[in-house]
Amino acid sequence: MDSDFAVYTKDLVKVYDGGKVAVDKLNLEIKYNEIYGLLGKNGAGKSTTIKILTTLMNPTSGEAQVLGMDVRKRANAIRKRIGVVQQDESFDFTTVENNLKVYSMLWEVDRETAKTRINEMMDLFDLEEVRKKRAFEISGGQKKRLQVAREFLHDMDLVFLDEPTVGMDPEMRRRVLDYITHRAHGGLTVLFTTQILEEADYICDRIGIMVNGNIRAEGTSKFLKEKFGKLKEIHVRLSGDSNKDEKQKVVDEISSIDGIEEARLEGDSVFVLGYEISKKIAKIAMVFERHDLGIESMESSEPSLDEVFLKVVNS
Amino acid sequence: MKTPSFIRLAIRNIVVNTDPGTIFFMLGLPAFYFLVLGTMFQSIIPGVTVNGSVVSYTKFLAPGIIGMQALTAGNIGGSMLWSDRRWHMFEQLMVGPFRRLDYLLGILVISTVFTFGGSAIMLLLAHFVSGAFILTAPSLAFTFMALILGSFLFTSVFLIIAILVRTLQTYNVLTILIYFFLDFASTAFYPITNATPVALRDISMVNPLSYITNIIRSSIDTGYVSSVLTESLILFVTTVVIMFISLRMYSRLKTVA
Repeated sequence: MDSDFAVYTKDLVKVYDGGKVAVDKLNLEIKYNEIYGLLGKNGAGKSTTIKILTTLMNPTSGEAQVLGMDVRKRANAIRKRIGVVQQDESFDFTTVENNLKVYSMLWEVDRETAKTRINEMMDLFDLEEVRKKRAFEISGGQKKRLQVAREFLHDMDLVFLDEPTVGMDPEMRRRVLDYITHRAHGGLTVLFTTQILEEADYICDRIGIMVNGNIRAEGTSKFLKEKFGKLKEIHVRLSGDSNKDEKQKVVDEISSIDGIEEARLEGDSVFVLGYEISKKIAKIAMVFERHDLGIESMESSEPSLDEVFLKVVNS
Repeated sequence: MKTPSFIRLAIRNIVVNTDPGTIFFMLGLPAFYFLVLGTMFQSIIPGVTVNGSVVSYTKFLAPGIIGMQALTAGNIGGSMLWSDRRWHMFEQLMVGPFRRLDYLLGILVISTVFTFGGSAIMLLLAHFVSGAFILTAPSLAFTFMALILGSFLFTSVFLIIAILVRTLQTYNVLTILIYFFLDFASTAFYPITNATPVALRDISMVNPLSYITNIIRSSIDTGYVSSVLTESLILFVTTVVIMFISLRMYSRLKTVA
């Protein structure tokens, strides 16, 4: 038993009946109180991993422990201490309020606590106006909010959130993410999957990029950007009028510098894309000076997590 | 004191399923059969012979309507599993603090509660329309036994359908067909006599609802329970076999669709 980690897998494999390998020797170590983001395209194996860890599905081989307990041997004990927001919509055919009341009752939350928490959740997730409406009558975004709100009614040590913000508007998405962060600060461990990279960037302590059932890259958002984002772009804005031919000559000369992938001219701006570009800024500036072109400003941009993600996924 | 998991699931089933449609299906439809169909036929059927005694048609019909409650409750029980699978609540509950057996017990408990609740209401209704029934300890014991076995048996039948069928249309068509077929090809509405077509007589002979109805009818209409011992045994064995098949299929059912 490895109780240093809230989630621990070693060489975890899941092969479906048809022979499709959904999870392929996955090694995952998620610390307690950590918000861990699992990123990946559709079919990368994120949901299958969650289904194994939440004891819904048995792995084909390998080890999987949740809160220090083996998913095969102690499934019942694990389920009493976790919360799960599934990717698929799930709700009871009753009112929004009853959905929350019933769920609290199922999790044995005492009546007074349940009442307080339900009111808090109604307010936080903006469900007050649909309180008496039946769950199947509300919008997709509201259903998702209901699903998330429901899961935070009961006490737990670890929550699995499988794309919990799908269908939500940006404001609500931000509110949900802030609430998850708030709960994590209160001691909750979170395993979060998303395809929206800004979300992972915003709340996750660590991110794992999943490709073909395995973690291809892992670390903090900053680490991933540094590791995979060495390809940077600088934007040089030119001052005053200058000859277009002269500008093109500059672009051609910069393109020939070692490590520069691309240089292009757009109006009065020159964009330069290359590796370790900060070391080449002086060289680039000298080219402009040689051609007597004044520089108004020069900005270097960080790669977005999207760029990192695409690079890892496509590599 | 902690409420057992299956009781919490049963309470959830009541809250979720006590919508007007279900209540009408459970109580309105049989009450309609009894009050409208029963009283209409009574005007053209002077009396029906049960165990050598002649009883009014509504008195004859009442045990059939009571037995029907087990069929209706079983249908509702099966639809709970189907609906929970369709709307991913089965999956959601199975990642909660429950075992698979708790979920099944939750359905069986609620089917039994619905069976007895509905039967008590139908018996009360019949009491006002047809007069007093014979409610002795043996007649009540046999009626209880028939209703419990009936409830378990029909819940198992509809659980099997809920496990096998994926689409809403197929599920609806199949359950409606089975429901009305079992209802009308049984002794619930008509006595089986020599004049009954052979095919229908044979079907009603293998229909569990006939056995449930016959046991209740003999018990509360005539108080003559010794005649239903064989029928009770057949009902018991059938229930055990169908429950076994249903349990096997349920245990192999994949949680994730």
